[in-house]
Amino acid sequence: MAVERFLQPRASSWMANDGENVDIAMSTRIRLARNLTDFKFPYSFTEDEALKVDKEISSVLLDKGSELDYTFSHISIEELAQLQKEVLVEKHLISPYLANSQHSSSVLLSENEELSIMVNEEDHLRIQSLQSGFHLQNAYKIANELDSLLEKNLSYAFHEKYGYLTSCPTNVGTGMRASVMLHLPALTMSHQIQRIIPAISRLGMVVRGIYGEGSEALGNVYQISNQLTLGKSEYEILQDLENMTEQIIQQERRAREAIVLNSPLILEDRVYRSLGILTHSRLLTTEEAATCLSDVRLGIDLKMIQDVDMSILNELMIFMQPAFLQQYADKPLQPKERDFARAKLFRERLNKEGINSEGEDLA
Amino acid sequence: MICDQCGERSASVIVKQQQQGQITELHLCHICAAENHSINIAFEQDPLAIHQLLSNWFPTSQASINPVKKEAATCPSCGFTFHKFLQLGKFGCASCYDEFAPQLNEIFKRFHNGNTEHTGKIPASYGTTLKIKKEIEELRKQMQASIQGEHFEEAARLRDEVRVLSSKLEGGAPNGS
Repeated sequence: MAVERFLQPRASSWMANDGENVDIAMSTRIRLARNLTDFKFPYSFTEDEALKVDKEISSVLLDKGSELDYTFSHISIEELAQLQKEVLVEKHLISPYLANSQHSSSVLLSENEELSIMVNEEDHLRIQSLQSGFHLQNAYKIANELDSLLEKNLSYAFHEKYGYLTSCPTNVGTGMRASVMLHLPALTMSHQIQRIIPAISRLGMVVRGIYGEGSEALGNVYQISNQLTLGKSEYEILQDLENMTEQIIQQERRAREAIVLNSPLILEDRVYRSLGILTHSRLLTTEEAATCLSDVRLGIDLKMIQDVDMSILNELMIFMQPAFLQQYADKPLQPKERDFARAKLFRERLNKEGINSEGEDLA
Repeated sequence: MICDQCGERSASVIVKQQQQGQITELHLCHICAAENHSINIAFEQDPLAIHQLLSNWFPTSQASINPVKKEAATCPSCGFTFHKFLQLGKFGCASCYDEFAPQLNEIFKRFHNGNTEHTGKIPASYGTTLKIKKEIEELRKQMQASIQGEHFEEAARLRDEVRVLSSKLEGGAPNGS
């Protein structure tokens, strides 16, 4: 089945550790929302319409993808097992909304997993372009090229005044949501983030913890994205977001310097304790793993730790999640069993490819 | 009952999880319950509960009545009422945008920092058609002016240009890119 290769605990190219400012900006995503003219939107369409939309969009992508050198794999959501859907969600390749879809829906994935096109999510069509690091323009270029190819073969719902019409009034206009995932441990430690978040929201952008609601961001990973989709062009939105992200990155760098200057030993102690937990614990909860991953990342960025590969940490962030652990174990796991499997995964990955084994790990 | 996870606080939430036929039941305190849901990928989360905002802005009693027609606004294409749009926070189809137009400026202004009009990308085919329509309009105006000024040769030339452009429009999809 086409889906198998996408379920493997194998890194997608956007998890790689290259690109500008990659120590702080972990990945970039662009999402374009589009609907077709001849069908009602997914909140009101019939199953019959859903099937037609699914067929029409999927076949255009499969037929025309080659014009941009893409070979898409078509995956029908209803044919997936629950765990397989969860794995795709954890890998950011589909949204939780699509995973729970009640009608005919699909996802089409490019071979390098940088492009994911969801059919019959909240809108008929959602083009998602993922890049590692801080690459808004490039991620948009990839999404935009595909969009321009599709509009030649599909009839988009477009309004002279309102632009691209979407199910949700918060997406109308460009239909574009651009986001950058940022690792901000120093701004979090110094509580500056609490001052930054409300300031940004006044400028048509939003920052929030990537995992979970609430104020505390698990693993100090935040997402900054544009809130506004109407009244500005795609390039203006990207430019604004780029400027704001650069400012946050600068502030994070300054906060890091301040911590290194003021409490180097406390910081070093914290970094190495966390590395110790990740490489030696036997039970590891998601929360603890996320916290320690953040510390170790920071340690690598600050050159305190030299022998751990950052891209392994990026992968572990994805693969430590519940569905991946169960997929890997090939059986359902209870929460405690998952903590055990998670600890084992970290020990294996960090000892095998990260730190040279010191022979202590024979349990 | 004590929370199954922390073993300290008293449990206030029961979490039932069904996995391949096996049901597990957890009794959790409010803090551990919140943590249990912490691994939701936020990429695709709605930043705000849209419908909540909408119903705060437009108390449903007055919003369900179209101020122009003095009757409940209903989209003939998908059957969504304005009331339903507010409740759900979502449009049912493209026609909703026209049917609910009188109230939309107000809504879009709040979501999009005061903006109500798209200024970004236009689909190439749509853009070309729009451009030709506008050119024809402009040529017709010039033609009228020429006729009134009795510059008939000029008017005839403009008329031919309009014909060429009109045939382009009728000739189906213009060359997109």
